[in-house]
Amino acid sequence: MIKIAHLSKWINIGNIRNFILKDINLNIAEGEFISIMGPSGSGKSTLLNIIGMLDNPSEGEYQFFETEVYKLKEKQRSNLYKTHIGFVFQAYHLIDELTVYENIETPLIYQDIKSSERRAIVADILDRFQMVGKKDLFPTQLSGGQQQLVGIARALVAKPKLILADEPTGNLNSKQGEEIMELFTKLNQQDGVTIIQVTHAEKNAGYGKRIIHLLDGRIEKTETNK
Amino acid sequence: MLKNYFKIAFRNLWRHRVFSFINVIGLTISMTACFLIFLYVHFELSYDSFHSKADRIYRVVTDLKTPSEMLHTGGPSWAVGPHIVQEFPQLEAAVRTTGDELLVRKGNVKYQELNSLYADSAFFKVFDFKLLKGDPATALNEPLSIVFSQSAAKKYFGDQDPVGQTVLLTGDGLTAKITGLMEDMPENSLIKADMLVSMTTLTRKFNPGLDDQWGNYGNSTYILVKPGTRISALQAQFPAFLERRNGDEMKRLNMYPTLLLEPLKDVYLRSTRNGNNTGNINNVYIFSLVAVFILLIACFNFVNLTTARSAERAKEVGIRKVVGAMKAQLTAQFIGESVLLCVIAFLFTLGITALLLPSFNQLAGKIISTGVFQNGHFILLLLLAALGIGLLAGLYPALVLSSFKPVSVLKGRFSTGSRGVLLRKGLVVSQFTISITLIIATIIVYNQMNFMRNQDLGFNKDQMMVINTNSDPAKEAFRNAVSGMAGVKSVAMSSSVPGGGNPGAYSMIQNKKGEMQIANLDLYFVDFDYIPQYHLKLLAGRAFSRDFQTDTTQAMILNEAAIKLFGYSSPKEAIGRRFSQWGREGMIIGVMKDFHFRSLQQEIKPLSMRIEPNGCNLISINISAKNLPATISDIEKKWNALIPARPFSYFFLDDFFDKQYRSEERFGKLFLNFAALAVLISCLGLLGLASYSTMQRTREIGIRKVLGASVTNIVNLLSGEFLKLVAIAIIIASPIAWFAMHSWLQDFAYRIHISLEIFITAAILAALIALLTVSFQAIKAAVANPVNSLRTE
Repeated sequence: MIKIAHLSKWINIGNIRNFILKDINLNIAEGEFISIMGPSGSGKSTLLNIIGMLDNPSEGEYQFFETEVYKLKEKQRSNLYKTHIGFVFQAYHLIDELTVYENIETPLIYQDIKSSERRAIVADILDRFQMVGKKDLFPTQLSGGQQQLVGIARALVAKPKLILADEPTGNLNSKQGEEIMELFTKLNQQDGVTIIQVTHAEKNAGYGKRIIHLLDGRIEKTETNK
Repeated sequence: MLKNYFKIAFRNLWRHRVFSFINVIGLTISMTACFLIFLYVHFELSYDSFHSKADRIYRVVTDLKTPSEMLHTGGPSWAVGPHIVQEFPQLEAAVRTTGDELLVRKGNVKYQELNSLYADSAFFKVFDFKLLKGDPATALNEPLSIVFSQSAAKKYFGDQDPVGQTVLLTGDGLTAKITGLMEDMPENSLIKADMLVSMTTLTRKFNPGLDDQWGNYGNSTYILVKPGTRISALQAQFPAFLERRNGDEMKRLNMYPTLLLEPLKDVYLRSTRNGNNTGNINNVYIFSLVAVFILLIACFNFVNLTTARSAERAKEVGIRKVVGAMKAQLTAQFIGESVLLCVIAFLFTLGITALLLPSFNQLAGKIISTGVFQNGHFILLLLLAALGIGLLAGLYPALVLSSFKPVSVLKGRFSTGSRGVLLRKGLVVSQFTISITLIIATIIVYNQMNFMRNQDLGFNKDQMMVINTNSDPAKEAFRNAVSGMAGVKSVAMSSSVPGGGNPGAYSMIQNKKGEMQIANLDLYFVDFDYIPQYHLKLLAGRAFSRDFQTDTTQAMILNEAAIKLFGYSSPKEAIGRRFSQWGREGMIIGVMKDFHFRSLQQEIKPLSMRIEPNGCNLISINISAKNLPATISDIEKKWNALIPARPFSYFFLDDFFDKQYRSEERFGKLFLNFAALAVLISCLGLLGLASYSTMQRTREIGIRKVLGASVTNIVNLLSGEFLKLVAIAIIIASPIAWFAMHSWLQDFAYRIHISLEIFITAAILAALIALLTVSFQAIKAAVANPVNSLRTE
């Protein structure tokens, strides 16, 4: 599904080239659950953003479903990710002015799905996440865990093949965190959604089938969970 | 998708009520101002365009060359109209008009009709004034035919049909027949009359031979040309026409007229020959410019506030992009929001304009529009303008907002910091440049108005009551009766008073070289008491005196401007020189100091004065300030006893003279209002920006306070930044304002000097306003407890 080869990203400070990522090679198959770990500044989030096509590397190759991402035009690339990728953030990043329902609906709007269809899809996912009663509330009226659930629902609503989660439990207490992780596992096993998460916590990383350790922009080691 | 945008737009507007309020209020005020100005400009431009043949109607005017000067008159001589139509097959018709004040009586109902107009019979053929009753082709044919406007007819006949009835033109004891009833003339008409009288009344009854008088002026002449006529070619034939018909007289009088044609539609706004009762194309330009400025200021506010707030919207942009929004979609969303804002402002504008229209009409001095909703197409235009403004003002912020990169935006801390700051500063500077320019302009307009009102005019205009006797035979008796009354200091009679019209006379005056020089002199007929009562100063010679019998027929007094025209270097030299004027001959017995007998817009013209009891219809009564109402009512009693046929009416000279400045005064008031609006909108923007920038700097202020900064330090820090911008604006605005107002003042022959003080006043005013606006926010931020702001970070 994802093939990354010789991927590097750097920024120039003065004449010195500072590497954020250096020579990353990574293959990810469909249906995997991957955790990326590493200390602050090791390049985890940057790698995730590059995989999510929100950021560009300084050099390297990236194939997504056999498509050379960097040979695509801006519009095609954005089409690619908006149909295949869902994002989950540490700070949830819900739109405060929209209700739960409308937040979840937004990705569908940008995929030009008819409003009757949208209503059915959103109703379905609200049901699955047991949030029907909260659909007319605004994000600020929800607890952090509930907000993150909405964030995940929104990431899933367009039925992506890949979920990218950047410290999804970072702002949550351990119980809420566990629930989210359970949810990810379920999604991965039952629905076959590929998940890549960035995390600090060993415990959460353990949910992944493969753990990639980053240090100073390089892949330090890769563990496989049985 | 649209629903989603609308929803978020509404919620956003509501959540940030203060900003929305500032934006909507600013836009509403500016759109209202622009709409009113648009109505005004449209009205001014619409003058006389309601005539269906307006494009083929021309006014004939004359440049009259005398040996002494070139006169630019608003009409040709009386003979031109009837002769020109015989001579040129290109003309369909010619109409002469001349105004008068006629006393009209029906039974006991009597009015001095101040807006009477004599008109040739082709009047209704050339112009589209609507005749409700009567035959337009013949209504003004016969002598003593009258066409009333509806409202004038009502005064005499109530709801009766006036056509076929008669009234008395009492002054001349003549019975006149009403031959037509016309709709009241539209407000945007150059020609305005409540009563039309057939021209033949004048040319056959009152003044036979007028049709062939080539040297007698005082009418307006309009011609209707056939379609396809080349005007320049027609005009080129006029000199030969005048030569053929009037060549001998031109040579004899040594006065050479040139006939020129002015398109009817240009007369009201562009002709300089109309005196005071006219529009001014420059005012139209000035107000259009002011409208554009006001609109710009409001748009700048919008751009400023929206981009300043962009950090708040950044997160939303990031999320939307992550979930798949294209840049174009986001741009559309933000533009949609600004358009929505403008549409809200548009709705408010409609309401407010409807409320303000009556007072605006009053301010403008005429009924510019009877109601907003009568003008469907204007409203549509305004809506289109609102959409356009929304689009334009929203475009830049939308492009800025929609170009945020989600990666940087969503990574927690995101500051728009220095981004767009320069632009915002630039826009604030431009806003204040416009505002300060308008402030300076307003001060100068008002100074000039004050100057004109307070300038020593060279004559006494206080406590001077003037009554027009309209050459009633009993005028002398009335004068004698009044002069002995208690409370009356003195009484004088004359043909004219300052601020009103006066005849111009073909004159020959002996000049310095001893030749009889021909000139057209302004002429006042006066009596012996006029010069002392008006406190006119004699520089040489003497005033008229009853001790000299010859003074009644053979004496003339000139003003300084006149003797300069004839080449004298000192007043004394002119005494004893000969004159010949309107059939009288005699000597110059005195030279008086120049006084302003016209408004200060005009240079003091050469003026002659002679004694001529028959020509003196105005009685000036200098009354004491004590018991004024009682004195006036005594005078009225005397009038009613001696001249019962005429209604008693009077005016005070100071008011009368100031009336000449009414259009300037209106201009000044309108200008003041719009300048104040511009300043207000700028301040609204500044207020928003200041509150935003203090909000953003809350943490910085907290840290500074912890480090020991006093409230004053903080206020200075926050206000100083904005004051700097205002200072730059002052520097830019001053030369622009100086240049603009310098050329505006050129319309006034007597004008103020643009002093440095004006600029300093404006600068202080602008700085104070800005400081007041900003410091409120600054003080609020400065006195806040730093613990609160630092904890939340």
